[in-house]
Order: sequence, then structure tokens, then C-alpha cells
Amino acid sequence: MDSETSPFETSEVLATFLASTPLLSESWRLCNLANANSPQSFVAQQVGSIGYVAFSGIQLVSGSDPSFKNLVPLPVCDAAGNSLFDLLHRQNEGEDPVLVQGALLRIFENMYSNPSFRNQMCTLMQASKSIIFTGHSIGGTTASLAALWLLSYLQSNFANLSVLCITFGSPLLGNETLSRAILRERWGGKFCHVVSKYDIMPRMLFAPLDPIAPHIKPLLQFWHLYMNSPHFGLLAVQLNDESKAEIFQHVLVQLGRLVENGEEAVTGMFRPFGNYFFCSEEGAICVDNAASVIKMMHLLFAMGSPDCSIEDHIKYGDYVAKISSQFLEKKSFMQGELPESSYEAGVALALQSSGISSQEPVAKPAKDCLKAARRMGRTPNLNCANLAIKLSKINPYRAEIEWYKALCDRSDDQLGYYDTFKQREASKRDSRINLNRHKLARFWDNVINLIESNRLPHDFHRRGKWVNASQFYMLLVEPLDIAEYYRTRMHSRKGHYIDNGRERRYQIFDRWWHERNVEAGKNKRSKFASLTQDTCFWAKVEEARESLDAVSSTRDPSHLALLWRKIDSFASYAKELVESKQVSIDVVAKNSSYSLWVKDYDELKSQMMQFRPQFSSFINGEIVP
Amino acid sequence: MGTVTLGENMEIKEELIKKSCSMAMKAHKSPERQYLSKKIKSSSSEVVFSFAGSWSANDWFAGNSFGETTVDLQLFPSLKYIGLGVTATANEVFLKRFKSVLGNPQFKIEVRKAVADRRQVVFTGHSSGGAIAILATVWFLEEYNKQSSPLCLTFGSPLVGDRIINLALRRENWSRYFVNFVMRYDIVPRISLCPLSSIEQQLQQVLDYFDQNAQQPPHEAPAFYEIVVKNASSVANYAACKIMGSTNPLLETVSSFIELSPYRPLGTYVFCTGNGKLVVISNPDAVLQVLFYSSQLSTQEEEAKVTVAQTSLRDHLNYGNYLQEHLKMPIVTCLYHPHPEALSLSSNVANVDRGKVDMALNDLGLSERARLCLRAAEALEKQKLRNQATIDGKQEDIDKCLGKLEAYKIKCVHKVGYYDAFKSSDEKADFHANVERLELAGIWDEIIEMLKRYELPDEFEGRKVWIDLGTRYRRIVEPLDIANYYRHLKNEDTGPYLGKGRPSRYKCTQKWREHAEQLPNEVPGSCFWAEVEELCIKTGCQGTKENILHLKTKVDKWIQDGELGNDVLLENSTFMKLQKQHFLTNLSQDLAF
Repeated sequence: MDSETSPFETSEVLATFLASTPLLSESWRLCNLANANSPQSFVAQQVGSIGYVAFSGIQLVSGSDPSFKNLVPLPVCDAAGNSLFDLLHRQNEGEDPVLVQGALLRIFENMYSNPSFRNQMCTLMQASKSIIFTGHSIGGTTASLAALWLLSYLQSNFANLSVLCITFGSPLLGNETLSRAILRERWGGKFCHVVSKYDIMPRMLFAPLDPIAPHIKPLLQFWHLYMNSPHFGLLAVQLNDESKAEIFQHVLVQLGRLVENGEEAVTGMFRPFGNYFFCSEEGAICVDNAASVIKMMHLLFAMGSPDCSIEDHIKYGDYVAKISSQFLEKKSFMQGELPESSYEAGVALALQSSGISSQEPVAKPAKDCLKAARRMGRTPNLNCANLAIKLSKINPYRAEIEWYKALCDRSDDQLGYYDTFKQREASKRDSRINLNRHKLARFWDNVINLIESNRLPHDFHRRGKWVNASQFYMLLVEPLDIAEYYRTRMHSRKGHYIDNGRERRYQIFDRWWHERNVEAGKNKRSKFASLTQDTCFWAKVEEARESLDAVSSTRDPSHLALLWRKIDSFASYAKELVESKQVSIDVVAKNSSYSLWVKDYDELKSQMMQFRPQFSSFINGEIVP
Repeated sequence: MGTVTLGENMEIKEELIKKSCSMAMKAHKSPERQYLSKKIKSSSSEVVFSFAGSWSANDWFAGNSFGETTVDLQLFPSLKYIGLGVTATANEVFLKRFKSVLGNPQFKIEVRKAVADRRQVVFTGHSSGGAIAILATVWFLEEYNKQSSPLCLTFGSPLVGDRIINLALRRENWSRYFVNFVMRYDIVPRISLCPLSSIEQQLQQVLDYFDQNAQQPPHEAPAFYEIVVKNASSVANYAACKIMGSTNPLLETVSSFIELSPYRPLGTYVFCTGNGKLVVISNPDAVLQVLFYSSQLSTQEEEAKVTVAQTSLRDHLNYGNYLQEHLKMPIVTCLYHPHPEALSLSSNVANVDRGKVDMALNDLGLSERARLCLRAAEALEKQKLRNQATIDGKQEDIDKCLGKLEAYKIKCVHKVGYYDAFKSSDEKADFHANVERLELAGIWDEIIEMLKRYELPDEFEGRKVWIDLGTRYRRIVEPLDIANYYRHLKNEDTGPYLGKGRPSRYKCTQKWREHAEQLPNEVPGSCFWAEVEELCIKTGCQGTKENILHLKTKVDKWIQDGELGNDVLLENSTFMKLQKQHFLTNLSQDLAF
């Protein structure tokens, strides 16, 4: 074992912490209220400084897809064209798109298009410091989607509001890409899915439901009736034992097969995301490793029976009441000797709380499963401390590039470092700088990789040191990346840099920088900035150069008009940047690409004014038919 | 005469404990007097001051949900996290009550006399009187630190302040003077873990019961007990996740949704098991866990709850009897100290020595889960020591870099001084100096980060070797950071260096020195160049000339103190040029170098 891995198992302590707060019981209270009083709708209520939105578990699932197998892409925008979930769509190359269950998505969309929902959301968001979305059963997926919507919205609008989603017995929602996108956005900690020991609902979508499709509708009806009025419900309908057994067996077998086949089997299918709060009569544990969640679901379910798999779905009230009052009682370990190792003992205690006694045959695999969920390697704080050391080790490479820039600025050829680097020949100095550029890129890519695998502290991207360091790196080095891009003529193969060549790290650093909470009190600059503030400035120069060169060979007047519009808008943008001194001195060096471009631009413009005065209107950016 | 041994180097006379306890109880009887004082007759060396508690809810909580406020640094200059400039918070009402005691001139006179007579001063109090005793002891330590060591004995005291107070006491090596006795079920030390809003309805009834010492505890007792334990559970479980190193992001999300009490234990705790044993714990994280776990019930039955709830109130009034009965032949167990190996988790262990600890923990009702938390608290303490060893290992690297920069500084004397040389950065040597600067910044930033996350031992900021190294670092390297700042015109983005531009590694090391040497907080000589640069920018403005003259007077002192090298007076340095621009040079000063 890595000596820096935490020697304690915290899945149980975390669950105990959550259970000792009022959040679980309040959420359940409102879910219950929504189930009883607002079928197909929701309940919004403010408790203290927290705004709760609870979605009813009684929802009309449209009949066209009784087997729930229909996965659809998560929409990018709503009917009015406002962006929805846009952050989740930034997937990596080669990944499937983000898919969610179609019928469940439709329920959310109906809710979302309801003006009353939006109004109440607005009111809550203004009055509360934090929002909790919650829902029982199918209401749980609606809550998850609502939370994803709000998180995307808040992040794009840089608003500060805490969001948490607590679901009870929620079915699965989406595919692996969704699960990964949530991890990547660091939202895993915002979802807590409460799942009881035997409840079949959260496990159902792991199995293809076609073979048992006819049983699903009566099952849902049974649950709905019960949720709506518990006493009446139990009397009214009873599912027959055979169909119960059939459903149970089918899901158990399929889930078992899935676990057996391991990781590969889950691609393209439903995948859990966020935290799973497994509760039993004995207590609860929190697990957030998706593979372990699936295994735990299977192991616990295997101990159940057809009857309890269905009843457990409507017993969350009992579970919540029980675990919320457990703090009072001393919980002893009665199942023999505890192991001496702190970690092993913690696992044994967690197992007890998840309701698996050490005599059960599933105890051993369940232990293995909890151990697999343990985050190996160093804790985030240690990772972060080590990164700080690495940063100070690579800083000299950055300093060397700074030094290179300063030398270029002073050099007689007056090219500036962008053009010097772009036009470099095989000189030792330039290739050293290129090497440094690669080393720095490797370092920062590693930082991003660590973040996205949740191995850094949750607020890493808000720590001044890192935001500033990444920004400074980007200001200094991105121009060199652009230079390399155009030097190797990548743009003729892949398209221009800004849309096709920009590394993801820069987009992320841009976001960090803009998310800082700073007042925008802009001082006027007296001298040129030491580094050009728009890191893509040179890429814009390159695009403007291409447009300018294209002017002479273009005959099509509408295309020509388009070109001129682009050229002029760049010219005025760049002029403003230079005048406000937001560019570094190298931009205005006599022989820099930009200075040369300005010269050609002015020339071309004066030619046009001279020979074809009627074109002057293009210069002002207007379209002449 | 018997003594009670509370861990290494810690012995208290049995009689002193009993006497203090009875005086603490007695103080309640005359609430109109702010304190009682008494010399202990048989042994001539102590004077005991005891403080009355209060039975009005308004004297327990005020203002926001936990009633805390930042302490007055004039009165308690040490109660802060020095480098990061975090001031400790303490219960506002307790602070107010202590200040009114201090406002009584008689109190100060009596304390002064006791010190002059070379008697040990003992502060004591029961219930919220204990909180006043703690504050009085801190005040005494600030006032008479070098002359006399006090002792603070509290009985059933509520928690007084946040983790910073405890950290500061440990840093100053004062923590050992505080000994808090707590009966296993006593509810009062746990009350501070709840927000006022949750117990508002029952608190006054409970305090009335304490005041009247009625036969039967109020019927609110079970509800009150349940709320307090529930909140204690939240705080303790959150802290346990932290000390166990949980990395699940759900932890931070959930904690941002609820209010958690900032109060933490301080000093040494002596838990009375209820059957004659005393368990001594001085690790604050462990004490917090014990406060929660020892109040749990052994069964879930309603009857048991009512009984324990009543005991939780009765215990608060039971210190006198209990100590009277059991101090004669105390069975004292110290957690951790005699047992460097891990605490055992279950109760049937053969080892005799460990068996004793186990018995005591059983008597406190600590489950396996509680013991795991105690292990984690101890492991964290050890981890902090390991972190410190790692950081100590870097002293050599720092020393090497500083050596190189000092050589650079000397070399630059032949030209314009290292500030101006670095600012224009024309030569390879300047580039290398920049690399050294960055390397040092990396190391120091790491230290600051560790301090921010409380990953170093509490004593770290009091260590002379680091204070000195920090001062040397600040003096030689900060001018380079200033040069870099103005060279890159960061002042036009961020404003003057002394505003938001100054890195915390310099602020922190400056504060260490100021605290250690009790200096006032003012702009140090290492920021001299930042002032020069700002004056250069303001050249021609009104008052600049006076400001330059003012700066000049400070320069001489800084050079004398070693804060600044005399290379600032070199002919072509920016500072001299600035003076020339304002016609402020005279020959005698030019010749000074």
C-alpha cells in the first residue's frame, strides 16, 4: 500500500455525518409531501436558508417505451434556444455523446417548460443561499436533471449558489459519458442517491427490460398508489407472486451477468454517477466509485427476495427515520473480533452498517468491493503539495522563456518573440525554448488530468496560486503554441487555431481566470503590458492575414464583403487593444506579423479608396448589395 | 499530601483540585462578586481565584447562531494564527463577562500581589465560570508570561473558542496550564456544539434547574439531550472525516449546507468515568470525539434515554462529590502517552498495560468506532510531525539559494545595486537570480499552503529557526519580487505592490518576526523599494517631496537594523535618482558610501 493513502475507511463516517444533519429527513419529508399532494408535479419550500424542491415520484411515463431502453441525447438548448446542460457536452474525442433515458428526460422537460416551475425556482434562488433538489422514485431522475440544469446554468453565469441533489430509490438516468462528464465538472459530490438494501427500482435499468415489459406497468401503478395514499394502496392492488418473482429473477440475473463481465460490459449502457448512500436497518455507507456502486447493488440485492425488492422501494421513510436517529445509540460491533488494522476494522464496520453480516456469503466480495472503491494513491492535499513542488521545479523553464522574450524584444531584427519563434531555424536556443514549451505543457496537462480524476482538492481551481500561475503560463506560452501551429502549417490541414487547434488546457484556464471573484476596476495602462492580455491575439492576426491575402483573389462580391467585414473588425479590435496598451511591446515591434499586417492593410485600403471609391462602404463594415 | 499525575510532567496536588472545585462551586453563591480569591493555608504557595457562572441564557449565547466573535488582540495579542493573520474567535458573552472582571481594579491588584509574593496563581470556575477562568488564564499568560506559571482548573466548563485559540496556546507552550474536568455525561461542555436556535426553547429551563438544584430535572431534559448529542454528532463526524482524510467531495458539499459549531476544546481534558476513573486526553481532536461518543446511549430504549438525559444534567452539579470521593486513590489513565503503539479497538485484549486503557475507554462508553476516531486523531498528529520533518529538510535548499542571492547582491554593488540590476535584467546573472527567486518562492508558498490547511504542528510558527530563516529570506528576496512586479507593470493591473501585490510568503514571515519580537505591525524595510516605485510614479505630485524625506529618515534605521543593505544609497540607484529629481541630495550623503 502506498504509505500516503489514508489509513482509514471513511465511507461509513461520511454517511453518519450526512445522517446527523437535517438534510436527509427534510428532503424525505418534502418528497413524501410531493408524492401525496402533487402527483406529476413538485413542491418548493424554503427551510432556513435552504430552498428545497421536491419532485413527485408519481409521474406519467409515456407508454411508447415501456421497456425504458430508449436513450436519447441530452439536449443542448431548450425550446426558446436557451442553453441547457451545455457544460456536459464538452466530451473528449472518441467518446459517445451524453445520453439519458428518453421518458425520464421528457418528464423533466415538461416540468421545465412549466412557467410555475420557473417562477418558483426564481423565487427560491433569490431567497436562498443553497438549493436542494430531491425526489423519490422517478422523481429522483427529475431531481438529478434539474440539478444538472441548475449547475450548468450557474457555472455559465458565474453565480454562487450551492446545489445538492438527494434522491431516494431513483432509477438510473444516463450513460457512461454522462457519468464521466459529471466527474469532469467536479459535480460528483453534488449528488447523493439514497438506495435501500433491496430496492429493485435503482437496479432495474441495468437489465434489458423487454422480457418483463408487461409487468412494469402494474408495478409502477402499485407503487404510485402506495405513494399517494399508503394505507389504501396496499389494499387496493396486489401484484401476483409469480410476476414479482419473474421481475426479481430477471434483474438479479442480468445484474449478476453485468458484474461478472466487468468494466467493458457497461459501455453504452446505464451507468451510476455521484454518491450512492446505501442504507439498511443497521446504518449507511457512502460510495462514489461507479464500479463499486454496481457491485454493491448486486451483492445487496442478491440477499433479498421478490417481495422485499418491491416493498423496499416504498420504505424510505422508515429507513430515513431510523438512520437519522442512530446517533443517540452506541453502535457496537457484535460479529466477533475486529481486525487490528485501522483500515480493515473500518471496512468491517462499514460492512456492518451496510447490513451485511460477516457470516453472509456476500461479506467477502462486499469487502473487496469497498476496498476497490478506496481512492488509492495520495490524498488530494498531498497531491496538491507535490504539484506545488513540481511547479517550482518547472518555473525555471518558464523563466527561460521570459528571458527569451526579453531578448527578442531587445533584438535588432525587431520581430518580437512570436515571429522569432515562428521563423526559427535550427538554432540551439530556439530548440531549447521549444523543449521548455513541451515540458510546461506536460506539466499543465498533468494538472488537468489530476483534477478531472478528482485527485486534487475540490477548490483547487479557485486557489489564487494556481489560477495566477496557469494564467501567467498561458499569457507567456500560448503565443508560442500558436506560432508552432502556423509554422508547421497545421491550419491548412485542421483549420484555424482558435476553433480547431487550441489545447483544452487553455480553455480551462480561461474559465478559471474568469471565475475569479474580482471587481473589474480597470486601471489605465501607462506602458505596454508585459504580456499580451488576449492570448489568442496572434491566432487572430494569422486569420486576418489569410483574409487580407484572399481579398486580391476574390471576385465574388458577397464573399468579398464578408472578408472585409472580418478584416475591419479585426483591425478595429487590434487597434483598440494596442491603444489601451493591453498588448505587449512585441506586438508593435517594427517587423512583427501584426505590424506588417497593419502596413498591408493600410496600403490596400488607400489603394481602394483611390481606385474604387465605391468600395469605401465596405470599409465601414456595411453591406452593399 | 497526595498528588494526581496527569501525564508526563504534570502533577497537581490533590488538595488543590478539591479546594479549587469547592471554591468554584462557592463562587456561584455570591454572583454579585465577580470573583473570589483565597490563599490555600496549609501549603503556602497558591492563590486561587474562582469565578461565578451565570444561570441566565443571555450569559451563554448572543448574536449569531453560535455567539462567537473575534477576540480583542489588544487584550490577547497571542490569540491568532500568526502568519496568515487569522484572529481567534471566542464566545462573545464570555469575553464580555471576563472584561467586566478585568474592569474591577481590585482583581488586577490581587493578581499582581500574588505574583509579587511568588505564589502560583490558580484560576478556577465551574460551568460558565470555567470559561471565565480560561480567559483569565490566557490574559495572565499574556501579562505575566515570563514571571510566573499559572494553572487553570475548570469543572464542567462550556467550550470557549475556536481551534485557533487552542493552536495559539500550544504554539506558545501554554496549553499545559489548562486542565478541564468533565464528568462523562455532563451536557454543558457539549452545549457549545449546537446553534443557539436549536436549543433556544430549553436552555433557560435547564439553567434554572442548575440554579435551583431541584430534585427532579426538567421534563425538557430528554429533548434537550437529544438535540445536543445530535449536533455533537454532526461536528464530531465531520471532524472525523477530516482527520481520517476523506476525499469524497460530498463532504464539502454537505458541510456548506449546514452550520457547524466553530468551538473546539483546548488544553488537557480529564474525563471522569463515573466509577472512579480519570481519563486524561490532551489531543484536541480526540477530546472532541470523546465529547460526542461518551454521551451515546448503550441501548436505544426510551427509558435509558430519559435516565441518561437526567444524568447529563445531574452530572453537571456533581463534581464536588465525585472528586471528593475518588481523588484519594485516583485511577488515572492517559490516552496515548505510555502507549506509543496503536490503541486497541476491541475490549478483550490480553496485554495488561493496554488492558488498563481499554477498561477506562469502556467506562467512558467508547465504541469501536470511537476508538478508530481516537486512532485517527493520533495518526494526524504524527502526520503533522512528519510534514514538519519534510519541511525542515528544505532548510538546506533555502540556505543554498539565499547564499547565491546574497552573492548576487554583493556582485551588483559594483554597478547600480541588485534591485536596479534585477529590474532591468540585462545579464545572464539576473536571469539566474530570477531562477533562484522562483525556486525559493516555490518552497515558501508550499509552507504557507501547509499552514493554511493546518498540516503542520501547532508549534511550527513559534520556532526560532524558521522565524530567523524567514526574516533572512524576506530581506534578501522581497526586493527582487518588487523589482519583478514593477518591471512587469503589475501595478497597473493590481495596484501598488503594498496593496494587493505583496505575496503572503512575505507577509507571513514578517508577522512571525513581529510576533516573536513583539514589534508593531508596520511596513518593513524589505518593502522599501515598493515605496520608492510608488513615489517615482507620483513624481511631481504634491507632497511627494515630503514623503521622500520621510522615507529617507526611515532608511537610516533600516540599514542599522539590517533590514536594508546600504546599496540603496548607490549613486545610480532608483532611490538616489528620485532624490536628485527632487533636488534632495546633498554631498555629505553621497559620500556616505
